[in-house]
Amino acid sequence: MYKEGVGDFKYYVGISSLSQIATRDDRVCVLNILGGESSEVTPVGHAWSGGNVVFGTSPGRRGQVLETPIGHVPVYNSVREGLADGHRFNCGVVYLPPSAARDGVAELIRVNPDLKKVFIITEKIAVHDAREIRAMGQSNGIDIFGANCLGVADAWNQVRIGGALGGDSPGDTLRRGSIAILSNSGGFTTTIAQYLRMAGWGTTTLVSSGKDVYIHYAAPEFAFALANDARSKAAVLYCEPGGFYERDAEFNKPVVACVVGRWKAKLTRAVGHAGAMAGGSDDAAAKERWFMDKFEVDGLFTPEKPVFSAKGAVVTNIAHIPAALTAVMRANATLPDFEPEGTMELKPWFGGNGGLALPASLELPVVTAPAPYGAQIAALSQQVGAVFPRQAMKDASGASQMDPATQVSSLHGLSMLDAAQNPLEANFSLALLHESGGENDRKLVNVALGAALALYGDPALAAAEAAREAGNAPNSVLAAAVSVYGPRRSEAAQRIAHELVERFAPTGLKDALDERFDTDAVRLDPDLAALLYRDEPDPLAERMLAGIDERGARSVFVRHLRSQGGNPSADAVLAAITTTLAWGPLMRKRISRLTADSLPAWVRLFGTLLGASVPAGQHDADSFCGIPIAEIVASRSITEIACIALLGSTPKPADLSAFQNLVGMLLTNGPGTISAQGAKGAVSADGPESPERVQLNKAMAGFLTHTGYAHGGNGFEGVSFLLRQFGDSGLSDPGDPAHGLDLEAMALSYADEYAQYKSERKAQGSLDVHKIPGINHPVFKDKPVNHDPREVFIARLAEKRGEYNVFHAFYREVVQALFQRGVSRNVYCVNVDAVIAALLLKITWQPWRRGEMPAEALETAAFTVFLYARMLGCAAEIDDHLNRGRNMDTRSAASRCRFVA
Amino acid sequence: MQITGMLQGARLLEFVDFPTAEVLGPDATEEAIKSLIERHGAVFVKPVFKGGVGKKGKSGLIGRATDLKTALAEKERLYFAEHRHGNQYAKANGVTFEGAVPATHEVYFSITDSTQFRAPTMTLTHCGGVDIEELDPKLVAQVPFDPLTGLKAFVVANALADIGAPKEVISPLVQQLPKLWELFHDFGMTTLELNPIRMRPDRRGRLTPVACDFKGGFDRDDPRWHRLKLPPHLFAADYSDFEQEINQLRTHQGQSDVYVINDQGTILAPTFGGGANSLVTEMLGDDAIISSDFGGNPPYEKMKSVASICFKHWLRQSNVLFIIGGKSNNTDIFETFRAMADALREHFSEHGPTPLYVVVGRGGPNLVRGMGVVRDTCEALGLPYRLFGFDSAMSEVVDHAREVNEWMKAGGREAIAARLGLTSEAARVA
Repeated sequence: MYKEGVGDFKYYVGISSLSQIATRDDRVCVLNILGGESSEVTPVGHAWSGGNVVFGTSPGRRGQVLETPIGHVPVYNSVREGLADGHRFNCGVVYLPPSAARDGVAELIRVNPDLKKVFIITEKIAVHDAREIRAMGQSNGIDIFGANCLGVADAWNQVRIGGALGGDSPGDTLRRGSIAILSNSGGFTTTIAQYLRMAGWGTTTLVSSGKDVYIHYAAPEFAFALANDARSKAAVLYCEPGGFYERDAEFNKPVVACVVGRWKAKLTRAVGHAGAMAGGSDDAAAKERWFMDKFEVDGLFTPEKPVFSAKGAVVTNIAHIPAALTAVMRANATLPDFEPEGTMELKPWFGGNGGLALPASLELPVVTAPAPYGAQIAALSQQVGAVFPRQAMKDASGASQMDPATQVSSLHGLSMLDAAQNPLEANFSLALLHESGGENDRKLVNVALGAALALYGDPALAAAEAAREAGNAPNSVLAAAVSVYGPRRSEAAQRIAHELVERFAPTGLKDALDERFDTDAVRLDPDLAALLYRDEPDPLAERMLAGIDERGARSVFVRHLRSQGGNPSADAVLAAITTTLAWGPLMRKRISRLTADSLPAWVRLFGTLLGASVPAGQHDADSFCGIPIAEIVASRSITEIACIALLGSTPKPADLSAFQNLVGMLLTNGPGTISAQGAKGAVSADGPESPERVQLNKAMAGFLTHTGYAHGGNGFEGVSFLLRQFGDSGLSDPGDPAHGLDLEAMALSYADEYAQYKSERKAQGSLDVHKIPGINHPVFKDKPVNHDPREVFIARLAEKRGEYNVFHAFYREVVQALFQRGVSRNVYCVNVDAVIAALLLKITWQPWRRGEMPAEALETAAFTVFLYARMLGCAAEIDDHLNRGRNMDTRSAASRCRFVA
Repeated sequence: MQITGMLQGARLLEFVDFPTAEVLGPDATEEAIKSLIERHGAVFVKPVFKGGVGKKGKSGLIGRATDLKTALAEKERLYFAEHRHGNQYAKANGVTFEGAVPATHEVYFSITDSTQFRAPTMTLTHCGGVDIEELDPKLVAQVPFDPLTGLKAFVVANALADIGAPKEVISPLVQQLPKLWELFHDFGMTTLELNPIRMRPDRRGRLTPVACDFKGGFDRDDPRWHRLKLPPHLFAADYSDFEQEINQLRTHQGQSDVYVINDQGTILAPTFGGGANSLVTEMLGDDAIISSDFGGNPPYEKMKSVASICFKHWLRQSNVLFIIGGKSNNTDIFETFRAMADALREHFSEHGPTPLYVVVGRGGPNLVRGMGVVRDTCEALGLPYRLFGFDSAMSEVVDHAREVNEWMKAGGREAIAARLGLTSEAARVA
């Protein structure tokens, strides 16, 4: 049944010494050499072993080669072809898939009479095939290693065959010494060698045995070959439960046996290594006992209780192997092979506390990793900001999402209901910096945006005015303005922002508001100086700097700019402001470098949009809507200025909070909205994989052109409905609860009117009944009384503030009246569009009544407030797509498009 | 993956024409049961368990009936019988009725792969019907044989001669037993045990071996058992929903083996390498939710799917995400870590943040790049973390993870929850 080999075995064993397992004379043929795993590890092993692979096979790929650092390895269709070409080998390595491994072994044995050793790396080979592989090896006198192993290596011969012992840099782990290793775990073969090396022990031959049911090269023959290997003074065995292999091994050299897997007695199924099951007389406890009997010890070796003899020690934790080995070898009067290379104590390479105070025992300081890893980590640390994986971003967003259950959208994790309570300047930060920012951030945003909206004499304003005069809707007017505002207009500021990050990051600056930071740490070289300063004072820069002073805003970068003496340019002040805003999120890796670099452009674009939304007549050299620019920059909030731009007059505090609510609620509705799709499509078409080529102003134009009378402009429908109801009511102040109107009666009267209209339409046989704007919702329906949670939220918020809105109250009466009059089967919800209409009409009611704002202007205002909000939300989408998207990723495959006849 | 009992066993034995006791399933009519009793004099009523359950007889879970009334009473008693053996618990769902086979000889027969002989090995005795371990070794033949030629008649004959089997059983066994090799070898089995085989005399006194109980183990990695067209539910009881989802990703590249250790655990430890799996799970004890081996250089997509499934099932209750392995040889750390980090990020996007502490211990190709991704993800998600290289002993890292877990239980979870802006309810989940 089996061929006669060496030793007194009942089966064939051909290897008499460990030194013969992997030698410099071995020549190797690799089956499936171009497979995923082999193509990665074979070149490394081949180079380290001085070129031991003579050829490989891969059916149908004859003529191809496997590239390695020391030259190409030829590839043939089959072993026979390789031999016919004159190659000779004595070792076969099998990287075939499990179903093909057995046949590969058969091919090696049948075709090559010189074959002596086979190394099977393949895992998950059926036991059926393993049986037959065993039998083939036995009857032909071939030593087989594995399967499911990582091959073998020899630190003395500097040879590795099959698999990947020592990883991608075998020399880092395999240092010549006196210890042989046999391990059921491929990973631990290398790990144990690494541990030994730290404790001063080098290695001879390392054998990864695998842990299938059939282990073809196992402990008994390893023990025999160990005895005959003059280089090996001792061995380390790593054993898992299952199989009687170790029981029959007879050692005459010291051994440390690591037996793990007692817990597997609890399992009812194999996990990890197929054969590593427990419960029989070959479980972990049994294996521990076998070794204890062999070593004549009565316990396990632990650092606390070191039990060992000159014959060996048993451990259950691989970390104890080096200590046990040193103890056993000392009993044999043998010292380690070399000075220990390190310790195994805890050494974190990276760490962060997530902003928490951790207990001292967990607060492990980060240490410098050993070479070459330390240098790699240092290089990595210089990378500033987040890096997002690129993927197709069609209909996807990393910025916004809508919860389908509540219909509440969120932007960078903040719900629109929460955003509605924040001022516009905070939502600017939210959109682009992913955080709402603090008080100082708001001051800086107010300065920067306040300065940017002064467009007097700017061609963007002229373009907007021309578009407006030609009868365009507000979105097209603004699109004309931003189209003029091309990339070159913020190029200088963006470059400065980039340079500031480049130069300040290495200083370790954590907090951009740090008053104690020594700004001299960043030296001013001529290149930077030329960017930052001008010969003549720049009035806009001075205005902004004055605004910063006036507001008491802090910034390391602005301080740096001033400390160097000279006339800072407006670009430099803007870049200093945006870099201050970006610094925290950048250091916390919330945003990318790209986003930080783009910020000056965003400020200018928003300024242009706000500025151009007001007719040119409202601009002059020093004022905007009649307010001095210096005052806007120095003391006004951008929320207030935007509200003035919208209404043409100074809002009351209640109007301002209504405006703020409106902007927050309209920020985003997720990536599926048409406006977001337009913005994303514009980025996709420019190609975000080359982000420097993406035109942000064009992307904003994409957003603007994807809004219109149906999307964005429809806010006016609710307003005009309310105007019809209240136009002749004589209402003077919609915020006064004592308005003197009988809302219930008005609602009932409207419900009657609507019921009549509806029945008339039905009588005419028409199903086309116009719906009441702001009422009912496809999601919030079917309950006896329905509510849109967003409407409820705003109502509660107003109540808390003691604010009243007669239009909102009327809407609530209308849904009741419709139910009472039998128009609706249940009480419809008042939806979020009604809230928006009610808020909008509340703040425009007085100008409308005074005749300062005709109905068309109201419609424009309704559309414009949507654009104000959505410009932030869409900027977030654009920035997100710029960071994550792929070129042309928003297109639809032709197969998904339809032709309609 | 085991099958026990004659309900399925008889079907399998039919493939190789091995005689079996007559069996009726749980849906047998009263007429059929009555007829079975009339033909065989008695029936055995046995509960049907999914998977492998042994030692039913010793637990009083086998009923015997010589009339229909008793048979139905036994059916009622055993239909939902519960069985505990070691760590295994099983609940029956149905019974079988097996015609009694009168006999004077009972034979034990099994084939399995022996690690002592490193060959398929037949175990045979004519003193069967009892636990094989309780017999005098002299009465038991254990014979390895060549898988390339299979179990041959002469192997059986020699074995029976060696243990002094009565001569009347030798010829029928030599004729019938070799057939079982085909069932074992050609249908992906790892164990086949028939105990007892009862030697039924015919009218002329000639004996026929009749299999009266069946136990079979199947090799998960061998597609040959699919040829048997066994109903999939037979093995379904072996796996939880979570394990089943992971198993669907099982390919030969990347292990993706998992086992749920404690569904109330608080450390989620994706582990790389069989060795690391043994060490880590042993040290974590009941703190560990799963035991896993995701080594074998899984590609990015597979690793990400595996991690997503793990997070979906377990992240909410986890205090510590503990990614651990030795110094890998060929598993690309950048690819595997990037996949897990992306899965974590996506999980947070989809399900919202959850208080978590991340501990990593690893070595291998592209280590620093891989750790960099984990660091960036933790920073972006606001999670505390410590990442260790291969120069920290793996067991020390495991201890550190346990210490972190204790801190999380003692207020750390609330602290992180507060930092993430979560309610205290989120903190309490673990």
